[in-house]
Amino acid sequence: MKKKIGIIGGGISGTALGYHLSLYDDAEVVIFEKATIGGASTAKSAGTVCLFDDSLKNRYWDVRLYGFESYLKMEAEEKGSAGFDKTGTLVVATNEEVERTIKTGIALAKAAGYTGEYITDKDRIKDILPDISTDNILGAGYTADDGYFDGTMISNTYAKKFQKNGGTIKTGVKVTEILKENNKVTGLVTSEGEKYEFDTVVDCTGPWSKFTGEMVGLNVPIWHTKAEAFFLCPPGKKLSYTFPVLKYPEFYALRAGDNIFICKSHLSMDLSNPMHAGQWDPDKLPMTGGTDDYFIDFLLDQLDAKVPGIVDSGLVSSWLSYRAEPVDFWPILGETPVEGYLLSTGFGGNGVIEAPAATRDLAKFIMIGESTPLLENWAFKRLLNK
Amino acid sequence: MNIAVLIKQVPVSNDVSVDPVTHALVRESSEAMINPADLNAIESALLLKEQTGGKVAVFTMGPPDAERSLRDALALGCDEGCLITDRAFAAGDTLATARVIAAAVKKYGAFDLIVCGAMSSDGATGQVGAMVAECMDIPHVSEIQSVSLSSNNDSCVEIIKKVHEDKLRALVELPAAVSVNFGCNEPRLATLRSKREAKNKPLITYTNSELMLDPMMTGIKGSPTKVIDSFEPERSKTASMIKGSAKEIALQLKDLIEAEKGKI
Repeated sequence: MKKKIGIIGGGISGTALGYHLSLYDDAEVVIFEKATIGGASTAKSAGTVCLFDDSLKNRYWDVRLYGFESYLKMEAEEKGSAGFDKTGTLVVATNEEVERTIKTGIALAKAAGYTGEYITDKDRIKDILPDISTDNILGAGYTADDGYFDGTMISNTYAKKFQKNGGTIKTGVKVTEILKENNKVTGLVTSEGEKYEFDTVVDCTGPWSKFTGEMVGLNVPIWHTKAEAFFLCPPGKKLSYTFPVLKYPEFYALRAGDNIFICKSHLSMDLSNPMHAGQWDPDKLPMTGGTDDYFIDFLLDQLDAKVPGIVDSGLVSSWLSYRAEPVDFWPILGETPVEGYLLSTGFGGNGVIEAPAATRDLAKFIMIGESTPLLENWAFKRLLNK
Repeated sequence: MNIAVLIKQVPVSNDVSVDPVTHALVRESSEAMINPADLNAIESALLLKEQTGGKVAVFTMGPPDAERSLRDALALGCDEGCLITDRAFAAGDTLATARVIAAAVKKYGAFDLIVCGAMSSDGATGQVGAMVAECMDIPHVSEIQSVSLSSNNDSCVEIIKKVHEDKLRALVELPAAVSVNFGCNEPRLATLRSKREAKNKPLITYTNSELMLDPMMTGIKGSPTKVIDSFEPERSKTASMIKGSAKEIALQLKDLIEAEKGKI
């Protein structure tokens, strides 16, 4: 008898989970997406999956590598299906702790067969990124092998593979009710009035998880942090070099066509600062704009000091997105106090990096009941006493 | 040269509906931006200021949140801003709107030139600029491509206007008003630095307490325009695929156009 699983949310987490579940013969899976596949916060993701940076600790190297290589495999199967732009990455060391992290990351990348070097020659750093200031930095890690991907493309590629393996996707359909009996989930009801029976329902709704959890009486402990992004048109309108993914602890940047995308890093957000974090309604997010003045001040000061060559770029557009962040900035994966109601949410700014490995392990748990170190580390129960 | 630029805050999306009672456009979207042609007006004014010196003051009439668009205009390089807002001005037609804007510009100070976009992306009447000029009793040229200070006579501006396939060059005595076409120049972009500077540029608000206009001459009460009916276009999801060679497709398209001629 097949195991019936409903996935709420067709972003990177929901589609990756659907795909990994569809690899099991005895899984019968439906993904419910209220708008479009890979839209909303996935579409606003920068999609940087770098071989080494501070967005994910080195102890989760296998998570980073599995995500990166999953996307490279997609690209090998069908060029453009993961939206890979191989710009390389420059990770700047502004203190010794960051320097150590970069060096360890480079060693891991090299052990896996990729290139990577820690550069202290400041002229060489300026060769890679001429607009950077090398004052007050110790060095920088560089690899030419990575870059950024496109979360929307990846989600749609996962969705296509999922459907090819027999999965069902309902787009434009909102889940309005989650059914449960004796604290066990039994199914759900949609905006079309259709009722579905499921053994397991997985919430992959990211910033909406708080509201989704309320349907089963569960308080999903996530906050929203603001991802405020700007697209800059460099002075002269076109750069004469390939702008790499640029990582500082405070912000990151990457090229977007002839423009430069720049965003405050999620680990620099403070959950106790109401300007950074809160609990809001993602449905009210505008498609464009919505950024705060404080962010302009922040970014201006950062660029003035660190990348002065682009500080006088024109502001082409901006947008605001909400990241779903648990209090410790790690995702919530697996079981909850409601039997049959599982979570794959709270990835913060790291959904594109972490979703492949996280959903691979979650699919295994759902289908054969086997837990993994990742599921243990990112379990819901860790948050109960926080 | 002191220049006044008139701008309008418009919805970002086309997601507008029609109020069944007042027949006015209902703009549900909270996303707003400077009307695209008004960006060309701002650029024209800034280029002229760079040529002649002086200042550029930007005006907009609208709800209090239209201040956002004024700040955006200040970030582009305008020097001062004026928000004209009062419930007594709401739901006015083009004439009632022009009366209020003209009164605000007059009260603000003396300007050599008034520049606005030729048409808004939501209402698209293209009338307000000319009406403001009439209310102020100054000459006006609509839908121009460029404006610059006359090299021979510094009491005039030289404008270029497209007339069919030709260009019309004219000298216009100052003070005057012009409306510029969408796309006639390439509007500059704000920068992070200019955004920050814009926060500290002077911006004042005029309500009817300052303008002291007769309420019967503003807003819906002061509007001679009576909208008898307005409606949303019928939307259809039907579509048919035209297939064949390029020539066959072209012939089928020609037949379709012929069949639909005169229906709209």
